[in-house]
Amino acid sequence: MIRHLFKLIWNRKKSNFLLMTEIFFCFLVLFGVMSLVVYNVRNYTKPLGFEHDNVWLLTMRPSADSAALNHQKLEQVVQQVRAYPEVSHAALTNSNAPFAFSQMTDNLSYGNKRSSQADHYEVDDDYEDVLQVQLSQGRWFGPEDNAAHHKPIVINREMQRQLFGEEEPLGKLIPQNDSVNYQVVGIVDHFRGYSEYSAERPAFFTRISLQQSDKSFWGELLIRVKPGTGVAFEEKMVQEISGIGKDWTLEVATLEKMRQNKSKLTMVPMIALGLVCGFLILNVALGLFGVLWYNISRRNGEIGLRRALGASANQVYRQFIGEVLVLATFGLLLGVAFAVQFPLLQVFEVESVVYFLALGISVVVIYILVVGCALYPSRQAATIHPAIALHEE
Amino acid sequence: MITLKNIEKVYQTKTIETVALHNVNLHIPKGEFVSVMGPSGCGKSTLLNIMGLLDEPTNGIVEIDGNPISRYRDKELAHIRNQKIGFVFQSYHLINDLSVLDNVELPLLYRSGTSAAETRRLALTALEKVGLSARTKHYPTQLSGGQRQRVAIARALIGQPEIILADEPTGNLDSVMGEEIMNILLDLNRQDGTTIVMVTHDENMAQKTERLIRFFDGQQVSDAKTNAYDYQKV
Repeated sequence: MIRHLFKLIWNRKKSNFLLMTEIFFCFLVLFGVMSLVVYNVRNYTKPLGFEHDNVWLLTMRPSADSAALNHQKLEQVVQQVRAYPEVSHAALTNSNAPFAFSQMTDNLSYGNKRSSQADHYEVDDDYEDVLQVQLSQGRWFGPEDNAAHHKPIVINREMQRQLFGEEEPLGKLIPQNDSVNYQVVGIVDHFRGYSEYSAERPAFFTRISLQQSDKSFWGELLIRVKPGTGVAFEEKMVQEISGIGKDWTLEVATLEKMRQNKSKLTMVPMIALGLVCGFLILNVALGLFGVLWYNISRRNGEIGLRRALGASANQVYRQFIGEVLVLATFGLLLGVAFAVQFPLLQVFEVESVVYFLALGISVVVIYILVVGCALYPSRQAATIHPAIALHEE
Repeated sequence: MITLKNIEKVYQTKTIETVALHNVNLHIPKGEFVSVMGPSGCGKSTLLNIMGLLDEPTNGIVEIDGNPISRYRDKELAHIRNQKIGFVFQSYHLINDLSVLDNVELPLLYRSGTSAAETRRLALTALEKVGLSARTKHYPTQLSGGQRQRVAIARALIGQPEIILADEPTGNLDSVMGEEIMNILLDLNRQDGTTIVMVTHDENMAQKTERLIRFFDGQQVSDAKTNAYDYQKV
């Protein structure tokens, strides 16, 4: 019967061409949206590598005072913040704090291997405690690094994979420039600071030492507050810091709020695309339903004939569902041939599994869609009285 | 083989009630070639549909091989149609998108246990029987009316049915083609012992069959053996 259906649809390919084309384009759009959704969902379910609950970000814009004076005030601010009983830990960082709309990337080389656009985080010794970063090997930065001959560096697994492969990275030297080397002191499994929906990228952390760089200024202070700490403390803290850094611009935001804002950046286009795709699918479904109904009603004579030749009502029903599935298969074969190029050609450097998952979901959705559209017309076809159907012909 | 007892068929619409068949009693024994004649609208095709289990009588009993069909469900009726009955229609009812061979194979699609190779072999045999072996790959639209009707007969034959129900099989054909089709049906009846019930408007064709039943206004008005058939038989 399956061979018969394929033959029937193939012989009617001219009249079915538009339907197949519609299914093909519907599949492509669905595949595109599904790829995006699968990519984001997969990333979302992966560990971030840090805890952002109860973490605030204090952003400080210094005044036009001298760099040394601002540096001195910054040291006072850090001491002041760490002294609050409401604060567990506080750590300086550069502008690319987690969920910030700012990135700092750099390339590092080890031997003949080179990392691709790694995220560079400048952080101080308390960063590990503030964000509760989980080290899988080695250690975080500490006072012992003050006297270190090489600059300490902590890298993530992705960075390790790119630079060292299977080689043990701890203790290895990575040149920063001709005269200065980084030395790997620790490894974290994950760190996705840019967004919950972003893929794991190579990343590394270098150390900020206020004592060792007396003119530098880092304008972001990550603060882990104790649970239940609220707006009242925020007001008090800002007021007191304003007393130290007069004319400084201060801004406090929770990482949770920043996470939500960053999520919107991904979710809004995804929802918009999803709506467009949903609308398209609805249109395709209505079109399919109409065309199938029309086609089936045009084939009353054939239905009557098949009943006369021994087809039961159920077999007629299954035949029409089968025809629609075959029709969809022709459209999908074309679509899959096109879509499969994405993982094969590694388009957008997205993992192949994302494309294959999107492809599988899209195929299933299209089959469900066409079967859903064919159920009622097929049921109608099955209930046609054979004598009447033959008489109509 | 087929027995009809007190058959009545009434078509009911909101405003009109049309009696298509009234008090029809018939018995068609195995191996008989029966023709049914009557003016248009007298209920001939309705009778054939009821005999072919395509339609149900409003009242009365239809028996196939002594079994009343009213107890059967749709699936069982379909099975009987597939196993025992072959249909030939005036307008051929071929599927234009399928080749001659594929059209002939259709009944066996609904019969489980027949392999594709066996189906192909039976289809070729059926086409050979009707003299269309050379047209297997043609499509119905590439054939003449007579050839199309032969394909329809081959399709009716492929399942080796005990009964063939032919609804004006020569109605759309000229006299020469009609004669050819009639001869094929006569051969089937004589050589294979197939029971044939044929609805026709053509008195000459009807006279070639063994028994002629006449209908008028939904009622059976005569039922008699024909002389011509007896003569040919002798």
